[in-house]
Amino acid sequence: MIRSFKAELVKLRRRRVAVVAIAGALAFAVIASTAVLLSATQTEAPGDRGTTIASLSEAGGATEAFALGISFTGLVVLVLFIANFAGEFSQGTIRTLLMRQPRRLGLLAGKMGALLTFVAAVLLLAEVFTVAASAAIAPSQDVATGSWFGMDALGQAAGDYGTALLGVASWALLGMAIAVFVRSIPVALGIGIVWAGPFEHIIQDSWTSADRWFPGLLLESLAVGGTDEVAFGRAVALVAVYVAIAASAAAVVFVRRDVTA
Amino acid sequence: MTNAITLRGLTKHFDRRAVVDDLTIDVPAGVVAGFVGPNGAGKTTTMAMLLGLVKPSGGSGRVLGEPLDDPSAYLGRVGALVEAPSFYPALTGAQNLAVLATAAGQDKSQIPELLELVGLAARGDDRFRSYSFGMKQRLGIAAAMLGDPSLLILDEPINGLDPAGVHEMRGLIGRLATASRTVLVSSHVLVELEQVADWLIMIDDGRLVFHGPASELLGATDANVAVAPEHADDLEQLRGILAAAGHVTQAFDDHLEIAVDDSDARGLAAALNRAAGEGGIVLAELRVTGATLEDRYLTMVKNGGDR
Repeated sequence: MIRSFKAELVKLRRRRVAVVAIAGALAFAVIASTAVLLSATQTEAPGDRGTTIASLSEAGGATEAFALGISFTGLVVLVLFIANFAGEFSQGTIRTLLMRQPRRLGLLAGKMGALLTFVAAVLLLAEVFTVAASAAIAPSQDVATGSWFGMDALGQAAGDYGTALLGVASWALLGMAIAVFVRSIPVALGIGIVWAGPFEHIIQDSWTSADRWFPGLLLESLAVGGTDEVAFGRAVALVAVYVAIAASAAAVVFVRRDVTA
Repeated sequence: MTNAITLRGLTKHFDRRAVVDDLTIDVPAGVVAGFVGPNGAGKTTTMAMLLGLVKPSGGSGRVLGEPLDDPSAYLGRVGALVEAPSFYPALTGAQNLAVLATAAGQDKSQIPELLELVGLAARGDDRFRSYSFGMKQRLGIAAAMLGDPSLLILDEPINGLDPAGVHEMRGLIGRLATASRTVLVSSHVLVELEQVADWLIMIDDGRLVFHGPASELLGATDANVAVAPEHADDLEQLRGILAAAGHVTQAFDDHLEIAVDDSDARGLAAALNRAAGEGGIVLAELRVTGATLEDRYLTMVKNGGDR
């Protein structure tokens, strides 16, 4: 597993990948900070879950844009992980790797571990950039930043980071599982996008309890720290069950199936 | 002589069809073994089973002394190029080799030397997607050579190469074959295989047709004596002379061929020359050709081609 982890890092440590990751984190920070701070209102309207100038001025205000912004990236993460894993099958590189690392479970775990480590680093970078961008924009929106840089703010930042990482890792594992089952990039992407995108939301329109059970909707609730309908704890617990089942099934399939392409 | 590969009753079914059927072979250590068979005969599936990519439905085997069902015990000493060379298009040749060396826990310092070996030293820092097919194939050989393997498995390494590429690859395979390394190479270009293989495995429809020393297959075969008169008009008269002498000939547009045991071929050629001269016929051509691997292949494999 360690070898596979290191082998994946050889790919991720390239300068081009670093530049793209940094640029992406920076773009995310600017867009999220700008959108959240510019749309902040003076007072919270009834039923409105948006941010206010007052809430942004609290200790968690520094990472509010990060937390809200990251909740919209689930589908992107799903797509990236599907493309990465299914690409290994489509290109035949999984065959090349298995001839070097025949312990299949170790190969899968090592690769996944390296990608999640990379994602964790990019998330951290995105959070730091978002705080910086928010701090730069805050004065123009009359948002006080006095509470942003104390221990309370650090705790809030750590919590937001943990929630973001949990959500992103869950999307990533689901993406990996779909890719391992299907092995074709277009088919896996189709399944992933249709399921997590329109399918669950269409069902949600006619079945109000859908957000309490469907993985994509639960992940949306998890990303925002829970909703009125779905508590954070329930979202975490059910997502963990779904992810564990999907990842275990993918591991079994990956270990047992012949590699013929 | 120890065996690099021993297979006993190896079988693989896809759905209900036997792709490899009760295959029992030995490949001695240190030989270059040619693996011959029509498309769909089961060569690639057999190689995939040797490499742990495909699990056998039945049978057993040993590779480099280790059981076939524990590929992790021997794959560190095996290098392989199976089907098309598959690498990451966005990575350079050297980076691709670094990924594989790292995955296998091997030293990356050997990479420049391997790129040099396959003639890619000047292109090692170029992306894989910019490589020609021949270069991709050579990078595949370099990847197979990571860790200086004791067993090299090459599946159709010259497939798709132009004549210059075939020539290069033949030379490369020759350089890779050393006394301490066994090479198992499959190819449809039998002329090429004939030049490098000293051990042959022939399968058809998943079943073994022949396996053993190449000399045993090629040496114990008939030869042909081809004889052509200077003037085509003399062909029938020449045929009559040879028939009178008890030879069965096969007529072509401008020459006759006589199948004969290899040990008698030179004597027969001399006798034919003498008989033709006595009959007043001047020969424009008289040559003895041994049976080629292709001849034997076509004889032994019932359909003798792509199916």
